[in-house]
Amino acid sequence: MTVIENSAIEEIIYKYKMDNGLTVYIMPKPGYTKQFAIYATNYGSNDIKFLDGKHREPVEVPYGIAHFLEHKLFEEQGGSIFERFSALGAQANAFTNFNMTAYLFSSTNKFYDCLNLLLDFVNRPYFTDENVEKEKGIIAQEIRMYEDNPAWRVYFNLLGALYKNYPVKNDIAGTVESITGITKEQLYLCYETFYHPNNMAIFMIGDIDKEQAIDTVKQSFADKNIPKRGDVKRIYPDEPADVAQALVTQQLEVAIPMFYIGFKDSDIGMSGNKLMKKDIVTGVLLNMLIGKSSDTYQSLYEDGLINATFEKDYTGEINYGFSLMGGESQQPLKVQDRIMEAINKYKQSGLNVNDLDRVKRKMLGDFLMSLNRIDSIASVYIAAAFKDINLIDYPKVLDEVRISDVEERLRQHFDEKYCAISIIEPKK
Amino acid sequence: MDISTYDYKLDNGIDLHIISTKKFKTVHFNIFFHRALNKETATFNALLPRVMKRGCQSFNDTIQIERFLEDIYGADFDADVLKKGERQIIGFRLDIVHPKYTGDDTLIDKGLSFLNDIISKPLTVDQGFNQDYVEQEKQNLKDMIEGLINDKAQYAVERCIQEMCKGEPFATYVYGSTDALAGINGDNLYEHYKDVLAGSPVDIFILGDVEPDAIRDKTEAIFNWPRGTVKKIPKEIIKKAITEPKEVIERMDVLQGKLSLGLRTDTAPDDTAYPVLMLYASILGGGPQSKLFLNVREKASLAYYAYARLEKYKGLMIISSGIEIENYKKALDIMLEQLDEMKRGAISSQELDFSKKALATSLRSIMDSPQQLTDYYLGNAILKKHSTVDQLIESINAAQMDQVVEIAQRINLDTIYFLANKAMKGVEKI
Repeated sequence: MTVIENSAIEEIIYKYKMDNGLTVYIMPKPGYTKQFAIYATNYGSNDIKFLDGKHREPVEVPYGIAHFLEHKLFEEQGGSIFERFSALGAQANAFTNFNMTAYLFSSTNKFYDCLNLLLDFVNRPYFTDENVEKEKGIIAQEIRMYEDNPAWRVYFNLLGALYKNYPVKNDIAGTVESITGITKEQLYLCYETFYHPNNMAIFMIGDIDKEQAIDTVKQSFADKNIPKRGDVKRIYPDEPADVAQALVTQQLEVAIPMFYIGFKDSDIGMSGNKLMKKDIVTGVLLNMLIGKSSDTYQSLYEDGLINATFEKDYTGEINYGFSLMGGESQQPLKVQDRIMEAINKYKQSGLNVNDLDRVKRKMLGDFLMSLNRIDSIASVYIAAAFKDINLIDYPKVLDEVRISDVEERLRQHFDEKYCAISIIEPKK
Repeated sequence: MDISTYDYKLDNGIDLHIISTKKFKTVHFNIFFHRALNKETATFNALLPRVMKRGCQSFNDTIQIERFLEDIYGADFDADVLKKGERQIIGFRLDIVHPKYTGDDTLIDKGLSFLNDIISKPLTVDQGFNQDYVEQEKQNLKDMIEGLINDKAQYAVERCIQEMCKGEPFATYVYGSTDALAGINGDNLYEHYKDVLAGSPVDIFILGDVEPDAIRDKTEAIFNWPRGTVKKIPKEIIKKAITEPKEVIERMDVLQGKLSLGLRTDTAPDDTAYPVLMLYASILGGGPQSKLFLNVREKASLAYYAYARLEKYKGLMIISSGIEIENYKKALDIMLEQLDEMKRGAISSQELDFSKKALATSLRSIMDSPQQLTDYYLGNAILKKHSTVDQLIESINAAQMDQVVEIAQRINLDTIYFLANKAMKGVEKI
C-alpha cells in the first residue's frame, strides 16, 4: 500500500494495486457522516473505435453506447440494483462523460455491504434483448431533455465548432437515431473490452476503516478468475489544430442569447504532473484575463455586455483540451471582440505579477474549500488518477507557477485560429 | 465529530446562531433578512442585494471587492433572495478558508467587517443608491426573470405553482416581475433598504471551528447598527378547498413535454404529522425506490425523470416529469393511479421501509454540508423550534403505515400543468 500524504492540508490517501490490475484508493475523513464510493472505468463516450483483442481490425460501435451500458448495468436478473441499495438505505447513481463511466453510492451506515453490492453489480452484466429495448425509451427522453436544454446545446455546439473529427464533438448520450440500433451483443463487447480491472479504479472516502475496505474489495474478486491483460488500444481520428468552424448558431426558446467562446488546445498529448501544471497555468491565466477581478470582466459587466452568468473554464484531457468562456449576452460577438482585444493587449504589454499572486491565493482557497465536499472529491480524484495526476499535489504545483509560464501559455493557446463561438439565439 | 449549536440574542435584537464543528476546512457566515413575500415588494427585495453587493463605502467599486475576496484566499461571497413559503429572505453569504490553513489569523475579523460594510455602509449619492449600479442590476434582474424559460423543467414547476396559487402571495416569483422594475430607482430602493435593515427579523449564522463566546462578542461589536420596530412575518394559509382540479396547457416550441402536478397537502411544517408527510412524498416520488420512478420510468419507459417534492412551508407537493408530448394522457393516468394507490393504502411494507431508510440517509447527509446545515437550522429559526436531524429521523422511523394512509387522505390535486408544443392536438378534459 502506498501512502499519499499532504500534511499541510491534513489529507491522506492510501493507494493499493490489486494483482488483477484494479487500483484502490481510500481517503479517510474522520467525523464525516456520509461514506462514498465510486467505481469507475477509464471508458467514456469518446471510445467508439478500438481493438477488442480478438479481431485484427478495429471495432466501431454506435455513439452513446458507453452511456447506454451505464444504464443497463443497473439491471440484473429478477430486479433492479436501485432496490438493493434502497434496502441498505443507500443512494446509488452513475454517470458517463467523455472519458469515464462511474458507478457510485453514498451511505451513512452499512458501508461495506454497499461496497460489496457496488462491485458485485458492476462486475456482473445482465443484458437481454428485452431489457435493452426497454431502455431505449428512457434514454430517448433523456436525450430529448438535453435537446431542449439551451445550456447543454450551447456547450455541445461549441465542441462541434472546435472539432472536425475528434469524438468529443458528439453528445455523450448519442442521438435518438444512434441508440436505436444498439444490441446486447455490442454491449457485451464494450463491457468485456473496457470493464477489466486493469482499466478500472475504485475510490472510497468517509469515516471508513482502510483494512476492512480493502478486504471487502479483495473478497469480492476472490472467486473471479480474471486473466491479466494489458491496456486497451483505442483509436482516435486525426484532428487538425485549427477549428472546424468559427461560428455556430442555433435558435431555441430562450429569453436572451447564450454563448460560449472556445479556444481549442494545440499543446496536447501529455499526462501526469505535466498535464496538471498545464491545467493550473491555464486556470491562472483565465482568472487573470477574464476572472471577476480583471479589468476586462468588469468593463464588460458595466457595459451590460455580460451578466453574473458569465463563467470560464479549462478542460485538459490527455488527447484534447479547450478553454471556454461565456454566459448570456445581447451581443455575444461584441464580447468576443472585446476579449480578443484584451488578449492581444496582454500579449503586447505582458501580465501583471501582482495579479498572479492574488489569483494563486484565490485558487489555493478554492482547492481547500473543495476538500469539504466528499462526493465531488471522489469523482474529481479518480478522473485525475486516470490521467496519472495526483490531485493532492495541487497546492505544490500551483505554488510553482511563474509569470513566465502564464505568459507563454497566453501566446501559445489564445490564438484567433483556435477560437470559435457558439451562440443560442431566441426564436424569432 | 460533534456539532454544537449556540443561540444568542444580540443587543440590537438580531438572533445569532453559532454552529460549532471542527469538521470542515472552512468558516461560513450567513445573514438573513426575513420579509413577507408579496407582489408589491418582491422585486425590490430581489434587486436590493444585487445592488448592495456591487460596492460599499470601504470598497468603492466591484473590482475592489473582487480583489479583496481573492486576497483572502478566494472567499466566496454572494447576496441573493430565497423563497421559503410566503417568506422572501434576503441572504448575504461569505465562505472563507479556516485561518489555520493559511496562517492568516485575521481572516475571520476581515470577513465579518466586510459583511458588515456591505450591509450597513452602502454606497450612496445624496439619499439614494448609486444610480449606475441600480440601472445595471435592473437590467440583469430583468434578464434573470425572463431567463426562467431557459430551463423548461424549472419553468414548468414555477408556472404550475403560479396557476395553482393565483391570488395567494405564494404565486409571486422569487425574483419578482419585470413590470415592477420600471418603477424602481436609486431613491426608492434606498428607502426600501432602510426599512429592510431596521424592520426585518434578522438571523446570523456562523458555522465552523470557532469559539462561540468570542465570536459572539466580535459579532455584537461589529453588527451594531440600530434597529427599529421589527415586523412579524404572517403565517401561510395552508388549507384551501378544491372543487375540481384545474388543467392548464401552455405551448412553446419544445421537443419534450413537461408535466407538473400541484397538490395541496393540508399539512403545515409545524404539524406533528409533517414527518409522516415527508415519508408519504418519499414513497410516492422520492427516489429510485418510489412509485413514480418505478411506474413512470422503469415500467412504462415514458420518462427519464419523475419525482414528487414538498414545498414545506406552504404545504404543497409538486410532481414533475419530462415526457414525449403525445404521452401526456398516458403519463398523467399513471401518476393519478399512484396517488390513488397511496390513498387506498396500496403500499408495501418494503416501500415503507425503503423510504424510511432513504430519508434517514439523506437527512444524515445534511451533517456533511455547511450549506445544508445552515439551511436546516434556518428552518428551525423560522419555525421557532429546536429539533435536531436525529430527532426528525426518529419521528420518521416511528411513523406507521396507517398514518401514511391517513396523510394520503388529506392530499388533493389542485392543478395539472403541461408544457406542450404547437403540434399537440387538443386534449380532452379529465
